This record gives sequence, structure tokens and C-alpha cells, in this order.
Amino acid sequence: MADLVLDNVSKTYRPRGKPAVTAVKGVDLDVGDGEIVALLGSSGCGKTSMLRMIAGFEEVTHGAIRIAGRAVHALPPAERDVAMAFEGYSLYPPLKVRENIGFALLRNRCSSGNIDTRVRQVAELLEITDILDRYPAVISAGQQQRTSLARALIRRAPVSLLDEPMSQLEPQLRAILRARLKDYLIEHRMTTVFVTHDQTEAIALADRIAVMELGELQQFGTPAEIKERPANLFVASFIGEPPMNIFDAIITTGQDGPGMAVLGPSGETAFRLPVCPAGMTGDEPADTTAERRVRIGIRPHLIEIGVARGHDVMARVASNHWLGDQSHICLDVGGCSVVGVADRPIAARQGEMLPIRLPPAALHLFAAGSGLALAHGLATVRGARQGIQA
Amino acid sequence: MVRLDLKNLAKSFKATKILDDVSLSVEAGEIVAVLGPSGTGKTVLLRIVAGVEDPDGGNVIIDGEDMTDVAPDRRGVGMAFQNFALFPHLTTFDNIASPLSARRIPQDQVVQRVKSIAHMLKIDHVLGHAPRELSNGQKQRTALARALVAAPKVLLLDDPLRNVDAKLRYEMRLELPRLLRTFDAAVIYVTQDYKEAMALGDHIAVLRGGRIEQWAPPSTVYREPASIDVARLFGDPTINLLPCRLDRDGNGVSVKLLGRNVALSPAYTHAAGRELIAGLRPEHITVDDASVRDAIPFALEAVMPVNVRSVLYLRGPAGEELLATVGETEAARFGRGHRQVWGALVPSEILFFDAGSGRRVAPQAD
Amino acid sequence: MERMSRFERALRGVLIALVLVFFLFPIFWILLMSLQTNDQILRIPPSLLFEPTLTNYAALLTGRLETAAGNLDIAFMRNLGNSLLLSICAVLLSLALGVPAAYAFARFKFRLGENIAFTLLSFRFAPPLLVLLPLSLYFKQLGLTDTYVGLVWVYQLICLPLILWIVRGYFEDISPDIEHAYRIAGHSWWQSFRRIAIPLAKPGIAAAGLLAFIFAWNNFVFALILASADKQPVTVGALAFVTASGIQYGQIAAAIVLSVTPTLALALYAQRYLVEGLSLGAVKG
Repeated sequence: MADLVLDNVSKTYRPRGKPAVTAVKGVDLDVGDGEIVALLGSSGCGKTSMLRMIAGFEEVTHGAIRIAGRAVHALPPAERDVAMAFEGYSLYPPLKVRENIGFALLRNRCSSGNIDTRVRQVAELLEITDILDRYPAVISAGQQQRTSLARALIRRAPVSLLDEPMSQLEPQLRAILRARLKDYLIEHRMTTVFVTHDQTEAIALADRIAVMELGELQQFGTPAEIKERPANLFVASFIGEPPMNIFDAIITTGQDGPGMAVLGPSGETAFRLPVCPAGMTGDEPADTTAERRVRIGIRPHLIEIGVARGHDVMARVASNHWLGDQSHICLDVGGCSVVGVADRPIAARQGEMLPIRLPPAALHLFAAGSGLALAHGLATVRGARQGIQA
Repeated sequence: MVRLDLKNLAKSFKATKILDDVSLSVEAGEIVAVLGPSGTGKTVLLRIVAGVEDPDGGNVIIDGEDMTDVAPDRRGVGMAFQNFALFPHLTTFDNIASPLSARRIPQDQVVQRVKSIAHMLKIDHVLGHAPRELSNGQKQRTALARALVAAPKVLLLDDPLRNVDAKLRYEMRLELPRLLRTFDAAVIYVTQDYKEAMALGDHIAVLRGGRIEQWAPPSTVYREPASIDVARLFGDPTINLLPCRLDRDGNGVSVKLLGRNVALSPAYTHAAGRELIAGLRPEHITVDDASVRDAIPFALEAVMPVNVRSVLYLRGPAGEELLATVGETEAARFGRGHRQVWGALVPSEILFFDAGSGRRVAPQAD
Repeated sequence: MERMSRFERALRGVLIALVLVFFLFPIFWILLMSLQTNDQILRIPPSLLFEPTLTNYAALLTGRLETAAGNLDIAFMRNLGNSLLLSICAVLLSLALGVPAAYAFARFKFRLGENIAFTLLSFRFAPPLLVLLPLSLYFKQLGLTDTYVGLVWVYQLICLPLILWIVRGYFEDISPDIEHAYRIAGHSWWQSFRRIAIPLAKPGIAAAGLLAFIFAWNNFVFALILASADKQPVTVGALAFVTASGIQYGQIAAAIVLSVTPTLALALYAQRYLVEGLSLGAVKG
């Protein structure tokens, strides 16, 4: 197994007669030996271009790609020793499913008994043993996708590239197949890069996630880092279901002491938070009524709902759904919409008032213009704890 | 007041029975979520109610009138399609106005009603655009506006959030019930996503094999699924299933699971001796990195964080595959997996299904 | 693939040039011939340099040909008129019949539908000569020989299958849900056909109509047998230049140029729609 390094890689498409499009802008990425990395972003962010450059189906406009120290960006795909599962499946129509999966092993001159065993192993993993003797044209899209995945996995290549590996999977199979896939990749120490637009898949499978938008790498970190310390507003609102609550706010150092006023849709104050954005005070002028615009984020499950404790805000319930294992509540505070998640049913009907609390330690601060993260976790007014700077 | 009544609907294509005796009724102002895997006839059902497909048998009754043989343009139904089905050569305004212009409503009223519903759905700024210029979210809301503008008695929504991106889907899931309640229509909402069904439906109809396998409010379907198939549809990750047998012993009833004897409530005595399948929901398996008395040893193969929890991929003592969910912070202790952990079950939450028929074996309070 | 070596690119260019020459050369040569007198044409070796003359065109347009053997009346302009009349009428009739039929085939899947559709297409496969003898007998009996009505009717054998197959593909491409939505909104099936199906299938209908026009215009055998001199189109009219006093190559060439120009111009103008129409929307972009 090998490590993979992308060194300032860029890709510009120059279609004839149309303006040039830069799909990937100077991305640096290092994937350790045996690591699982996700390229995550919405469509058009450049993640598929990056994967295809690593595989060799696209030329690198600028930069270098190295596998196990060897520069591969000038080599054709066949010489890179990389396995790929394509988004369009690309199965060989005249071959049966089992022959499709075992195809690459023929090249390595494995004995046919050996090939059979390994094909069966991988097929069991992905629940496609019952279609091994069918042809690609007669199986469903989900089964085709799993066959394509099996074909890539069986090789245990130094680097495996998976393009949206589970998008067509039925929801019931998803959890168990993800689990088995992750187990397989860890057990065989396979360095893997996969592309997805589904952040739940990225968080579930990857050791580290590279979040991309408009060709630029927004953040490259572990799922925990990305969830708890998002580098900017884009990453913060992309990750998480339900998505992070984002509010406009003004930092006030008024008569009540330092705090923040959260603004409603028309600019008026919806509610106040008695938090001290530690680390900001150094920049502010001595004027006690100084104001500074920021954006605040808080994850829905960290909002304390229904337990009156002091420093609460009263919110009106707009909707309340119990989904079997968690409650999703939509609340309204002075025009601001707040989504909260709890892991118990909450007895509150539409229109009722509930106390909610936004713990300062759970708040993230972002710059109003650029969206860059300023602080993750703030201190209460009388807290001695320093807010952690991003 | 029962607004929509479907009686014994049947429909076959070639040799396959897509719908086989489907009956349900929807009151005015009620939302019924019809849930089932793809290809089970949910769309065919909606088409029959709308009138663009004829059933082989059964009746569609709206407000007491039998509409089974009435043409779709005269049923007073509104429908929003999964792939939007907007008229590509008309503007958004004309798309939405279409049901009103069919009813020969004077132009000034049309303008006023279209603008009002567009405002409600936040698409008033794109009324002059062609459908291809709209984003998926705007297309979906246009389709919805078109279905609602003529205040139909019956509203049919065919998986309207399917082709919309995750973030918007979540927002609409919260907004839709509020919106739909302002109209007094009987709503059938078809979906493949159980969370959507639970969030939106006053009642859920689980459609499998051409029949309604369960008809109940959302929480009942989750806690008391009628069969294994229903239990598998509800819950993320999917429920764990283990074959087992209920045995009567000195202390009452117990079952042997994962190498341990689990004592059960005497309400299960009637099922003693039967071959059953036990259903363990992932959230009802507790996992720890330290062993306690009677804890079950598991091999933890992989850890998958999911939002606020983590899913643990476990192998039981006899190699059984199980998924358990634990909180985020607890999962942090387990690292990347490939180690030993210990777990316990919550006996009162175990569901039992008959191994042969798949139907749930309910505890009987005697 | 993105990478093509320079050699491959050059080879591709050469091959394309060869194909172009193969197809375009005859047209080019005919054009040259139409601007030469008979003597220039028959000169050996043939030369590319000559003094162009418009006498051939003049003869066609005025209807008089002066040859060594005397003056001849040529009814070429009348033939051109016939071609236009017959082709346009045939296409209009086949559209009026074919578009609704195509809609029926596309939307209503009835048991023998595929068989009937294929039978109608098979009319294109059969050589016209096969049916010519029985047809001419029937025409005589019905009194349709040498009538415009008879010819337009026979031309349906050429135009109708084309319209059916191309337009059916276009109707099939329109998602049925769009029409369902229109009907659920409260419109009748006729309104749905007029306001949704036809506008959305317009490119296909136009392409099919153009193709049908071109094929009708090019037809030779039906007009030859079933019509007489004053109703014949240009395809048959060109035969008149094979006279007892010799073959008037110059005029034939000029006649060919005039015959080919309308359809060539139409095809060039509408080539994009023709390609679209012919691929029957098979691949979703």
C-alpha cells in the first residue's frame, strides 16, 4: 500500500470556442499509507476532476502527483497501478458479473481457483453473490454500482479511487455495506480516495475529509475537526444534518457588559446572548458602545431545549417531529428560525413556548464578510475560559 | 370528514400485480404518507387517483362521488410530480396559472392568485423565467404551486423532495406540513424516505407487495412494526435481525441471544417454543470498552461517525453482524476500531417476529 | 480520448478530405458542365478552364432550345412547378395524417401497435417497382392516372412512414408526466395534444417534414409511370433532354443544378434539425 501526494495541482479546461474553466485551483493534499480520504463538495466543485487526475484520465495542467514517492502525473492510467470504481459503472457488457469482477486478477496470472475464492469474498461483502452469473444489462443500477465497486476492491491496489461508490444504494443496505466496506479497507490497509456529495457518507467512512468548493480546498481534516472546528462558513453549513444554524449578530460592548445581539431577518434584534467573544476585545476601540458584525453558528443537537436554567431564551415551536430515535424541532425566536435536535421526544405542540439555551461553548464565530472562522466555542460573561481561536 | 376514499384498488402490468387490493381513506386536512421501496406501485397508485391511469378493479371516491371513470381533467385533483413535469415552453407564471386558465377564471383573478401562492412559496421573483432557468428547488416549488393554486380537494405529492439537494430537502421537510395545513385538502404524500414519512404524515401507509402492510400513526409504526419488512424500512441504521427461540424456563420466558440468556416479560409466554427472529434496534444496544457482569463480548470492526452519533460495526460471539449506535463522545474512546468491546441489550425493546411469516409477535398482557 | 498524436490528426484530415471529394465531386462537375456548351463538354481531354456560358440556363428558362436539328420546346419550368406542387401537397397531407398517428403510436400502447408501425415503415423498404404494376392498373380503374390527386396519394407511400417514425420518436421523448400534469390541471386530451405535445415535438415535426419533402422531390418511378408529360416533376422531366438529335448534356446539367438546388439549400439550412430528427433523440444529453 502506498501514500499519495498532490502537490499544488491545478486543472483548467479549455473547450473550443468557450471560455476556459479552472476546475481545480492549486490543491495540496497528502494521503497517508492506508488512509481513507473523502473529497466532499457539491456538484461542480472539482472533486471528480481531482479523482480523474489521480487516475490518469485527465491531464494535470499544473503541479505534481506522487504515489509512494514516484511521480505519476505524466504516466498513462495503466502504469499507475491504481484501481478505480467509476460513477458510470463502466462494466464490460459481454462478461458476466463474476468475470467483470475478476478481470483484473487475470492480468496477475492468479490461479482460477484463487480468483473464484476472492470474487466470492468480495461479492459476499457487497451482497451480490446472487447475481454473479448474470450479465450487466439485466441487473439494477444499484447492483451495477456494487459490481463496479467489487471490481475495484478485489485488486487491493496500492491506491483505490472510488467515484460516488454508494449513491445508488437502497437506504436499508447503506449502513451495513458502509460498515463492511470500511472494515475491508482498514483490514487490507488500502489507501483510498473517494468522491461524494453526501456529507454523511464522508463522515462515516473517511479518516480525513477534503472539503472542496469552486475548485478550492476549503478544509482538510478529520471528521471531528471539520464538525467542531470548521474553517469557514461554507464548511460549517455543508456538514451536518440538520445543517448548522447560522445567524447574523452584532457584538456589543454596551451597558450590560459584552454580549451579542442576534439579528432577525429584517435587522432588528431577535435575542441576546450573554457571551464574551474572547480574543475580540483586543481589536476593539475603547468606546463602550462599539459594534461589530459577525455570524454565529451552532449545531442543532447542541441547543438545550425545554430545560429552564437561566440565560434562557423563550422560543415558539414552529414544528416538532419525533423520528423514532430523535426529535427535530423548528423554533422561532423573534423572527429567527432555529432548528434543534434532541434524542428524546419533546412534548410541545405547534405554537407553544419553550425555553432554549445556546451554550456559549457550542457557538462558532465567523467573519461577516469572508466567512472565515474566528472562534470555536466562546466563554460566558463571567467565565475564565479562553475561547479557542481557529 | 372523509374526503378521499380508495376501495380495493387493483392494477397489473403484463403478468405482475402492482396493486393488489389497496384501500385507504384520507380526511380533509389530513396528510397520509405512503411509504415503500421503489417500484412498489406508489406512483401507480397516485396516477390512478389522479385519473391518468385506469385501475383493473376498485373505486376512487372523492367527497362521496365515485370518480373511477371520470377523466383527470374533471376530478379536481392537484398533483406534484417527482421529476417536476413543468411545461418547458411556458414561463413559471403560465405553469402555475395552468389549472386556473383551464377553469376559465378571469385574468385578473388568475394574476392575483398566482402571485399570492408564488409569494407563499417564495418564488415570486422567478415568475417570468422559463423552467430551464430555475434551480431544482425552485422547480419543485413551482410544481407545488401549480398543484395548489386551484385549491384542489385532493393533493397528490409524488416524492417531491427526491430530486432536491439535501439542505433544501431538510428545510422543505420542516416547512411543508405548515404550508399544507393552510389548505383543506386530503393529501397523499409518497416517499421512500421513512424520516420524511414520519415527519410529514398524520398516518403512514406502508405499501409492499401491492398491499398496505401497515396503517398507523408514525410512532406506532416505528415502535410496533407489523412485520420484519416494515421494521427494516424504519430506522437508520437498519434494525439488526437474529434468529432465536423463545424458551420457557423456571423464571418465565427467556431467549438466547448472542450467547446470553435474556429474560423477557411474561407477556411473551404465548410465543414460547416458536422459531422467531429477534429485532434489535441499533440505539438499544449499549457498548462499552470495559467489561461488566454478563456483558456480551464483541469484536468492534469499524466506527462510522454519523452526525451526532457513531455507528459501530460489531461482530458477535458467533460471528453475527450487528450495528449499534452510540453518542459521539462515547465513540471517541473506540478510535478506529479493530478491538474488543462489551455490550448489553435492552430486553424491553427487543421486537420479535415469526420466522416463517415475518409478522410481529406482540406481547399479550393477560 | 484527449491525446491524439499529430500523425493521427493529419491522417484524420486526409481521410475526411478524401470522403468530401468523393461525395462533392459529382456535384461540382455537374455545376461546371451546366456552364459549358455541348462541344466544350465533349472535348477530350476535359479541361477545367473554359469560358462559362449561360445559354443552357437561358434555354431552360425561356423554354426554347436551339439545336443543330431545329428548335425544341422544353417544358422544364413547368416540371419545376409540378415538383413543387406535388412535394408540398404530399408533405402537408402526410403531416396531417402522420402526426396524430405518431402520437397515437407513442402514447397508446395497444396490442398490435408495434406490428402496425413496422408494417408502415416497411413500405420504405420495398422497391417502388414492386408495386408499380398493380398500382397502375388500379389507378386506371379509379381514373386516377395522370392526376395530381393520384400522385399526391401515391407519394404518401414515401412520406408517411418517415413522418411516423421520426415524429413518434419525438413524442416518445416527451415525458408523459408533462401531459399528465396538463390534464390533471383541467385540460382535455385534445388541448394537451395541441398545446403541449405538438409544440414540444416541433423540431421533430419540422425535420420529418423537410426529409419527407426531399424524398418526395427526388422520387422518379411513380411520376414516370403514373403521370404524363404535363404533370411530371423535374426528375422525369430531365429525360426530355435525351433527344433524337443527341443528348443535350449542357441542358441536362443545368436542369440537374436547378432541380437539386432547392432541396440542397433546404438541407443545408436545416441540417442541424435533420441530424437531431434522425437520431430520434436516442441518447439523453
